Amino acid sequence: MTHLRCEGITVRFGGVMACDNVSIEVPEGKIVGLIGPNGAGKTTLFNVLSRFQEYESGHITYRDQNIDRKKPHEMIRLGMARTFQNLNLFGEQSTLDNILIGAHRHLGNPLANMFSLPGARRNEAALVDKALAVADMLHLNHQLDKPVKSLSYGWRKRVELARALAAEPEMILLDEPVAGCNDEAAAELEEIVRHVNRNLGVTMLLVEHDMSMVMKVCDYIYVINFGANLADGTPAEVRENADVIAAYLGEPTQ
Amino acid sequence: MVESITTTAAPAPSGSRAAVATLKNTFQMQNWVLASLFFAACLVFPLLPFVEGWMVFQGAFIIIYIMAAQGVSILTGYTGLVTVGHGAFLAIGAYTAALLMKYTGLSVIPGMIAGGLVSALFGLALGLVFLRLAGAFMAIGTLGFAFFIGAIVNNVPIFEGRTGISLPPNTVFGFEIDDFGFYYVALVTLALTTLFVHSLIRSGVGRAFKALRDSDKAAESSGVNRLLYRTLAFSISAFITGVAGALNGLIVNYISAEVYGDIWYSVDLLVAAVVGGSAMLFGPFLGGFFVAMVPFYLEELADFAFILKGVALIAVLVLAPAGVAEVVARPVRAWRQRKLLEAGESPELADAPGPPTGGGS
Repeated sequence: MTHLRCEGITVRFGGVMACDNVSIEVPEGKIVGLIGPNGAGKTTLFNVLSRFQEYESGHITYRDQNIDRKKPHEMIRLGMARTFQNLNLFGEQSTLDNILIGAHRHLGNPLANMFSLPGARRNEAALVDKALAVADMLHLNHQLDKPVKSLSYGWRKRVELARALAAEPEMILLDEPVAGCNDEAAAELEEIVRHVNRNLGVTMLLVEHDMSMVMKVCDYIYVINFGANLADGTPAEVRENADVIAAYLGEPTQ
Repeated sequence: MVESITTTAAPAPSGSRAAVATLKNTFQMQNWVLASLFFAACLVFPLLPFVEGWMVFQGAFIIIYIMAAQGVSILTGYTGLVTVGHGAFLAIGAYTAALLMKYTGLSVIPGMIAGGLVSALFGLALGLVFLRLAGAFMAIGTLGFAFFIGAIVNNVPIFEGRTGISLPPNTVFGFEIDDFGFYYVALVTLALTTLFVHSLIRSGVGRAFKALRDSDKAAESSGVNRLLYRTLAFSISAFITGVAGALNGLIVNYISAEVYGDIWYSVDLLVAAVVGGSAMLFGPFLGGFFVAMVPFYLEELADFAFILKGVALIAVLVLAPAGVAEVVARPVRAWRQRKLLEAGESPELADAPGPPTGGGS
């Protein structure tokens, strides 16, 4: 079954075609990669899919439901979470509070909440338990009470992922989860991504420049270039694709 | 299967987590004890032998300022929307209570609630209108609102312009109250608003406010409805400042456009919020006290009071942008943070994997 599908997405910034008739399809329970050279329009497409970016034409469906008119905050209720390429964390707040915001969709009635009525308190305790479970999975136990700005980059990447997971999503859009991490941290994050996909059944759409990770974890890959679909296929197919090689390395000289 | 993120992976209750929880409770108890001591001191203050009537009156004024600054702090401190026009909500609260008292004979407590509610309605509308504004634009927008309300109370006949509206003596539950009684009404109200703000900022709603403040993109992607929470913050903020406004008018039994038609209250409240520190519960207490007391000690030199407020504002912005409260609380926070980290790293978790060496930084 198709989890997320977009067809003919076109986004124009002034005269620049950021996305030109792009179509992709993410099957349920799979990890799909989205790759392409810098400036190919990957992040724009991500913002379109998570509804931060308006688009000129095209349609998006989430589990056969049209989501063209959804707002960013509504996506999580459908089950779609996302992370950000340049980390969008709440720096002054503790790791635990950052993860807790991810569980916002389970908050319940805001009015009962702000007066700390008994039901809201129980609910809050349940949210904290959820957040602790996610922190446990990502080995963030020791970082819970530290302000996020004091954490190293590798830890912050995990907090970003933990926040997305705290929503208990059915699908996550991961925008460069290992960018800026060294090999060791990248390997651990890769392991976590696989774990979340295999054991929790979360569908993933992954933008990543780290080719070794993309080739290892993805079930299927879309390549886009100059805002348009260039190729798609299994990792093995994409690796051998002449157009893809040309886009990344340039045309072979005659 | 998604449920399994939390159900099957529920963390074993570890000793260190329990230690952290105990510690957090202890810190909270300390805060409660301090707050209770403060309010107990305020409670006995008018009864002390050396305290004279004017001191009690001045005390009530300080309380009103603190409350008004609490309203500002909801927006500026916790939601990150800088408001420089909160005098408008003070005016709305004051005129609502005064007009209702004059024409319907409403007494202090219903007047206060009505003042808060009408002010909250305006806050709601403003929150919707200013939905897309941020930073300096929000500041300018709110300032414009203050001018707008000022022009209205100056020129629309029912508000009686600079002649002002004189009010009958205040009553509570049918009993006439003097300054002494009014002080206690204000104090109880402040205790209630403080409890509410405390509960609010620790709740999931407060968490959503702070999330919008720190990164609205991340907040929205986590499901925080910006429209809902921004208008909620505006309404709550306007409600509290509106209640303070009602008290501010009723305490002197007189209101006029002379004071509410200008933007000086807005400036005062901004100074109170910034100098005190608006992202901490006791920031408005320090700021409100400062702003209420400065003109009092400089009565002969009214212009000098304005200069002093301006200098204080600039000094705080340069030296301690988070306000005096943050400076006062810093050592305590640092000490608590250290304790929490020690508790969080107790040996039960020693077998957890070591920290990943984050690249890049």
